[in-house]
Amino acid sequence: MRSTRFLALAAVGTLTGGALAACTSDKTDGAAAAGGPIAVTATDSACELARTTLDAGTAVFKVTNSGAKVTEFYVYADGDRVMGEVENITPGLSRELRVELPAGAYQASCKPGMVGQGIRTALTVSGSAAPLAEDAALAQASADYSRYVRSQSTALVDKTAEFVAAVKAGDVAKAKALYPVARTYFERIEPVAEIFGDLDPKIDGREDGATKELPFTGFHRLEKDLWVGGDVSKDGAIADQLDADVRAIAAKAQAEKLSPLQLANGAKELLDEVANGKITGEEDRYSHTDLWDFAANVEGSKAAVAALRPALVKRDPALVKSIDEGFAKVDAELAKYRVGDGWKLHNQLSEAQLKGLSDAINALAEPISKVAGVISGK
Amino acid sequence: MLATYLIGLREGLEATLVVSILVAFLVKSQRKDRLPQVWLGVGAAVALSVLFGWLLSYTQTTLLRDYDDRELFEAVTSIAAVVFVTWMIFWMRRAARGIAGDLRSRLHDALAVGSFAVLIMAFLAVVREGLETSMIFYAAVQGADVNGGPLYALLGGIATAIGIGYLLFATAVRINLTVFFTWTGALLILVAAGIFKYGVHDLQESGVLPGIGTIAYHAAGVLDPSTWYAALLSGMFNITAEPTVLEVAAWVAYAVPVLVLFLWRPRRAAAPAAAPATEAGATAAPEAATTGPALAAHSEPQPQSAPAPAPQQ
Ligand SMILES: [Cu+2]
Repeated sequence: MRSTRFLALAAVGTLTGGALAACTSDKTDGAAAAGGPIAVTATDSACELARTTLDAGTAVFKVTNSGAKVTEFYVYADGDRVMGEVENITPGLSRELRVELPAGAYQASCKPGMVGQGIRTALTVSGSAAPLAEDAALAQASADYSRYVRSQSTALVDKTAEFVAAVKAGDVAKAKALYPVARTYFERIEPVAEIFGDLDPKIDGREDGATKELPFTGFHRLEKDLWVGGDVSKDGAIADQLDADVRAIAAKAQAEKLSPLQLANGAKELLDEVANGKITGEEDRYSHTDLWDFAANVEGSKAAVAALRPALVKRDPALVKSIDEGFAKVDAELAKYRVGDGWKLHNQLSEAQLKGLSDAINALAEPISKVAGVISGK
Repeated sequence: MLATYLIGLREGLEATLVVSILVAFLVKSQRKDRLPQVWLGVGAAVALSVLFGWLLSYTQTTLLRDYDDRELFEAVTSIAAVVFVTWMIFWMRRAARGIAGDLRSRLHDALAVGSFAVLIMAFLAVVREGLETSMIFYAAVQGADVNGGPLYALLGGIATAIGIGYLLFATAVRINLTVFFTWTGALLILVAAGIFKYGVHDLQESGVLPGIGTIAYHAAGVLDPSTWYAALLSGMFNITAEPTVLEVAAWVAYAVPVLVLFLWRPRRAAAPAAAPATEAGATAAPEAATTGPALAAHSEPQPQSAPAPAPQQ
């Protein structure tokens, strides 16, 4: 009886140990599977992949068997090393394979009838998202930036609620004052927001970008009604929708963990936003509060770089120095237009002054654009 | 459609075979009181598989979603199942040796079958392939709005596997007690060797063991995986058309020594202790004796590995 119990415990230990091992190897960069699953159409004589070049990280294949035989789908590395496999794809079924693929050359293979070498297609995986998360400093970067996103999105929800309340109360002056403030939190984390498909255009879309499916709503719609018409009495539903969308995006942003590479690209995208939308005065064309967004984008970019800083200093201290100088210049340039808690309006700045801001941004964008390369070791 | 049916049959057999032998064993050894634990283990494994399959098919959970995690899960549960089944094989060996005739009624006390062990064994036998089966099931459900065929074919295959499991049980409980223990034990060794081979294969697939690409032989010519007999052979004994060298080595390394140990009967070793039980066993078990001594003739009896047919204190 004693030996019975011992054996039972030993086996249960093995079992739970195995299950735990499976839990903890939870891959952190699920976001790397951006672009959705790669469709694979398998028949008894063909194996067609929707894409054959992909980014390093977690690859997702959705294999559909349109043939008459049971098939299997494999991803092989050099020397037929199996990277991943899904069996038992019976005729008419679709099954998914999720597999970690570092940069390199691979072969995808369908095996109709479950035997033989299979029908092979070359796969090219580039970038190095997967090994990145293994670097402790980089893993820390993702965690640090997540904390930033959490604090900003919480403030975004609160300030948007205040703004929405003012709109619904018909308090135009208060709504106008709150508009650029609420947007600040959104603009700081815009690269994260952009991951979530429709939500970004619903919250931040402009009039000229509106379509039948995505009508003109969100911040800019209320901006127009506040500044152009001065009447928001019919905007209750739009305000409520904005509130709901902001809450949804905040919840999603908090659950999302950006990979170090996404952080690096985000830092650059924010500066592009500044150059394309804010310098031109396009973004806030009715309120002309573009400089609020400008400052927020720069702060967001700075936060992303700050999270990557420990890793960057190790790899390229000179780059860090030129980035610091670039941010200092932008800050100095921007400080000229500070008015109390806020900023001068876009239409109060001369062409020359806008040019000064634009030059500072472009000078900063140059070293920032190198961050992704340094992070991925290329 | 036949292809999907055979997949269901194969996956189903992998689980039902062990469970039906376990149930037959408990019934034969008068331990029917342990049956609720078997069903509890089976039920828990099915529930867990169905739940996890659902989570993986319809939600964003990352647990066990990646290929290598899942292979590792199957490898660990398979190898744990082998440990339990091996242990059951040696219950059977002991039973085949010592139990017969007038001792039949005392079998109940002779074999201390832990209820927890029974539960875990039934659980492992089903859960190791349960998740994969449940993923196929949900894939079939998702395709069912186009054509329900695959779903019914899969369920039909599983139902057939349960039917075969029941037939095995019904046959097993009717045969002579000693023959039963010898033959189901030997059958179970082949099943366990298959499960072990499967576990090794999954360890290779998850990258823990090397050599996934080193194929021992190609037998697809005689064992076309799309045939019914290939499905049966792979479902029951995991005999496959293209095994790796390590899989074959694992199969042999398990099956040969366990089979020898199981069938080998030391002639004199049993003499000193528990004389009445041994004598009864020796005289009333001629069927087992026909297979046993042939092997025993080649090996030196080793006293320390003497079986203990006597009732436990
Ligand atoms: Cu914007």
